[in-house]
Amino acid sequence: MKKFFSLQARRIYIALIMLFLYAPIITLIVLSFNSSRSRAKWGGFTLDWYKALFENESILQALYNTLAIALLSSVIATVIGTISCIAINSMKRKSRTVVMGITNIPMLNADIVTGISLMLLFLSLGLKFGFGTILLAHITFNIPYVILSVMPRMKQLNPSVYEAALDLGASPVNAWFKVVLPDLLPAIQSGFLMAFTMSLDDFIITHFTKGPGVDTLSTKIYTEVKKGIKPEMYALSTIIFITVLVLLLLVNKTPSPEKSPGRQKGLYQLTQKPGFRYASAGFLLLLTGSGIFLGMSRIKEPEVQQVIVYNWGEYLDPEVIEMFEAETGIQVIYDEYETNEIMFPKVAAGTSAYDVLCPSDYMIEKLIENDMLMEIDFDNIPNAVNIGQQYYEQSKGFDPKNKYSVPYCWGTVGILYNKTMVTEPVDSWSILWDEQYSNNILMQDSVRDAFMVALKLKGYSMNSMDEDELKEARDLLIEQRPVVQAYVVDQVRDKMIGGEAALGVIYSGEAIYTQRENPDLEYVIPQEGTNVWIDSWVIPKTAQNKENAEIFIDYMCRPDIALLNFEYITYSTPNDAARELIEDEDIRNSDIAFPDLSLYDHLETYDYLGEEGDSLYNDLWKEVKSQ
Amino acid sequence: MSTKLIDLQHISKSYGDNLILDDMNLYIRENEFLTLLGPSGCGKTTTLRIIGGFEKADRGIVCFDGQDISHLPPNKRQLNTVFQKYALFTHMTIAQNIAFGLKIKGKSKAYIDDKIKYALKLVNLDGYENRTPDSLSGGQQQRIAIARAIVNEPKVLLLDEPLGALDLKLRQDMQYELIRLKNELGITFIYVTHDQEEALTMSDTVVVMNQGYIQQIGTPEDIYNEPENAFVADFIGDSNIIDAIMVQDELVEILGTRFACVDIDFGTNTPVDVVIRPEDIELVAPEKGTIEGVVTHLIFKGVHYEMEVLANGFEWLVHSTILVPVGTKVGIHVDPFNIQIMNKPESEDEEVAVFDE
Repeated sequence: MKKFFSLQARRIYIALIMLFLYAPIITLIVLSFNSSRSRAKWGGFTLDWYKALFENESILQALYNTLAIALLSSVIATVIGTISCIAINSMKRKSRTVVMGITNIPMLNADIVTGISLMLLFLSLGLKFGFGTILLAHITFNIPYVILSVMPRMKQLNPSVYEAALDLGASPVNAWFKVVLPDLLPAIQSGFLMAFTMSLDDFIITHFTKGPGVDTLSTKIYTEVKKGIKPEMYALSTIIFITVLVLLLLVNKTPSPEKSPGRQKGLYQLTQKPGFRYASAGFLLLLTGSGIFLGMSRIKEPEVQQVIVYNWGEYLDPEVIEMFEAETGIQVIYDEYETNEIMFPKVAAGTSAYDVLCPSDYMIEKLIENDMLMEIDFDNIPNAVNIGQQYYEQSKGFDPKNKYSVPYCWGTVGILYNKTMVTEPVDSWSILWDEQYSNNILMQDSVRDAFMVALKLKGYSMNSMDEDELKEARDLLIEQRPVVQAYVVDQVRDKMIGGEAALGVIYSGEAIYTQRENPDLEYVIPQEGTNVWIDSWVIPKTAQNKENAEIFIDYMCRPDIALLNFEYITYSTPNDAARELIEDEDIRNSDIAFPDLSLYDHLETYDYLGEEGDSLYNDLWKEVKSQ
Repeated sequence: MSTKLIDLQHISKSYGDNLILDDMNLYIRENEFLTLLGPSGCGKTTTLRIIGGFEKADRGIVCFDGQDISHLPPNKRQLNTVFQKYALFTHMTIAQNIAFGLKIKGKSKAYIDDKIKYALKLVNLDGYENRTPDSLSGGQQQRIAIARAIVNEPKVLLLDEPLGALDLKLRQDMQYELIRLKNELGITFIYVTHDQEEALTMSDTVVVMNQGYIQQIGTPEDIYNEPENAFVADFIGDSNIIDAIMVQDELVEILGTRFACVDIDFGTNTPVDVVIRPEDIELVAPEKGTIEGVVTHLIFKGVHYEMEVLANGFEWLVHSTILVPVGTKVGIHVDPFNIQIMNKPESEDEEVAVFDE
């Protein structure tokens, strides 16, 4: 009885561990089949996301890049690593230990350190960032894994086996390939698979070494974050998970060949078949070839007309790029970032000479202050007249003479609320402090947005540098903490759609989208005023193709193009001509998309506060969050 | 048995400061079964590896059939080696293992198939073609290693402690097997071992080595019965090695007592070492022996009893099939021809070395 009980207990314990480990992944897999876009509700089984995934060319391109880089880098790393093992193995014990230690360090090194160091190295070598640099980086961090896997096997080898082959008349090279290599093969295989998995998996190092227009799946997924993760990504992540799982199973199944013939199964036996060998050799050759071809074609690019665009993730209709390329013959190399703060150092570091950026107001101010922008020649942008004059006025807050920027998107920050849960009229930020909605309030997890709410409620400027005002705002935020359900960024959207919260601070562009998904949601701009933000096109000083950049910006200002973009990203367009083209009257006159700003007081645009201001805000924000 | 098939001339080899072989000279005749015997570190394996081409001598030359082959790589030598740890190719079948050398030489498939059959029959493993090495026992693997070597029809087969990893019974079976093989094939065997019994059982010629020097070359009988120095005597079988004085021809004084012997030409009153094998000592009634003593230890060894007898301050090792209880007073008798007289060592290198087996 006792034994039975303990057996049960053990099983439950194992089950709990399994649940703990795999619950997140199972959730992901389940969601990838959920026909509802919301994480919160099950809308029935569908394969649509998988279908959409395979129709999305940029994702497929990223998938190809990922696989090509993973395969090329792991093949090259396997060859280099195995050769290194031969060398290390023939060293004296002391130097062997030292060299092994050195090769192990990169594995223990934080990815971010490896990534930044590689970036700096490539920069100082003057390499063009792109497919090639990612490949080099991946080879670099893969080699230690191969050595780690092959070295122990190398040490176990019976040296007599090699000598026996020589003794039987084989030349040294022949002996190595016929006798030593087959003995090492299982270790080489698992080294290869380990390297492959690592490469497939990597985000941070790729992020730092990639160039414009080249994305792997991990960097691609990350740029999606700006608009919230689309269900296609669940599908993609599911596929990646399954792939890695299969690879890992293969690695673990690769037996060391000490079994009797009847028991030799799995990969090892498979690889012993000549058919498999030819097939895999052919496959590798094909891949290497196409990889080289791809690399070459990337290197050749400068010969054609091009424009390198660095934009927010999901901030442009991909079709527009195709149309632009078809109409102008200028090739667009398109790269995406997630936040202004990620974009800035990349532009400052100069890993890639971007031609067009799309930063937000305060970041434009910072770029101007750092003398990093070129003046735009508005003569080359006839379509700039389509942008409403009010937006140029608004822009003067960060670009006083309207010399550097052309508005692209704008919006407000307001309160999104669920009409079924909040029946009273909502018109003030103060409702976010109301205890009856305790645990039903979502705040933005961003220092400026959070302080904006508090400062506006107090009647101060959201660009305040007055320490007393800021401390009041801090105390107000601390007071609010108990009623806040969570400080989040993208999840405001999904949680509100799913009815998981009653009130949330949200950007107006997201609000239009959420209303489409859940008609119970309503968006208001509180009477105390709010942030009016503008994202504008600018040309950095490092641009190599200024002319093309201006052609691109002009194209974006064309009413039909601006309309396409508006429909795709749902953020308000400052393009009045485009707004006139909107067919849906509700949207054309929507107060959310196009609020009449003259009706609101206390509207402001974020200023760049300088480093001092940034650290002041950040310190106070930390005090709030640590409560 | 007269031609020098292999001739090692003035071979020296050291690893760093460690001198392994010092000016070694040795020849091996055609069709000879020669064994290099000695404790580990004596240089026997290095000698074999120099013959096989896996090591290069620092000085000296290796002649094969009158040709200097010192600079030929192993794959160009007409020799084949059977390695201590078998060194079979684990990813190949038995047939592929045996065919390895023949394929490199470009032999026809029919020839190779014939050879595989023949070799497997020779080592009593017919029908094992498609097995893998891992599925065989240690003894079977060793026989495959031998088959793999001999299909190449080498003039000389080098065997590096091939039976070292086998258990006792199997080892004895394999000893007979090897002798049979050698007789059937009619080729030269150079065999390395630290097991003196193995060496005595199989060899035509035994070369006893220690610390890089050859101590004695001779037939197994010579080596056993007439060791040239204390090292050989001690290494080969059990012995009583006693300081003695050669009083005159055919008379030696051991521990103060004079014994008749058969050796001559040592001069008079010369200090010598005396070797007496334990089985050559007869225990008789106290008054009938040359020396009197008391049995102090007794161990049953199966074939015989091993006893220690304290006489004249020396513990005599005695093997006898007759049990004599501890405490019994006995007399020690040795026939004159069983007393082996040896000169005292001239240099340290010939002294009894501490060795581990």
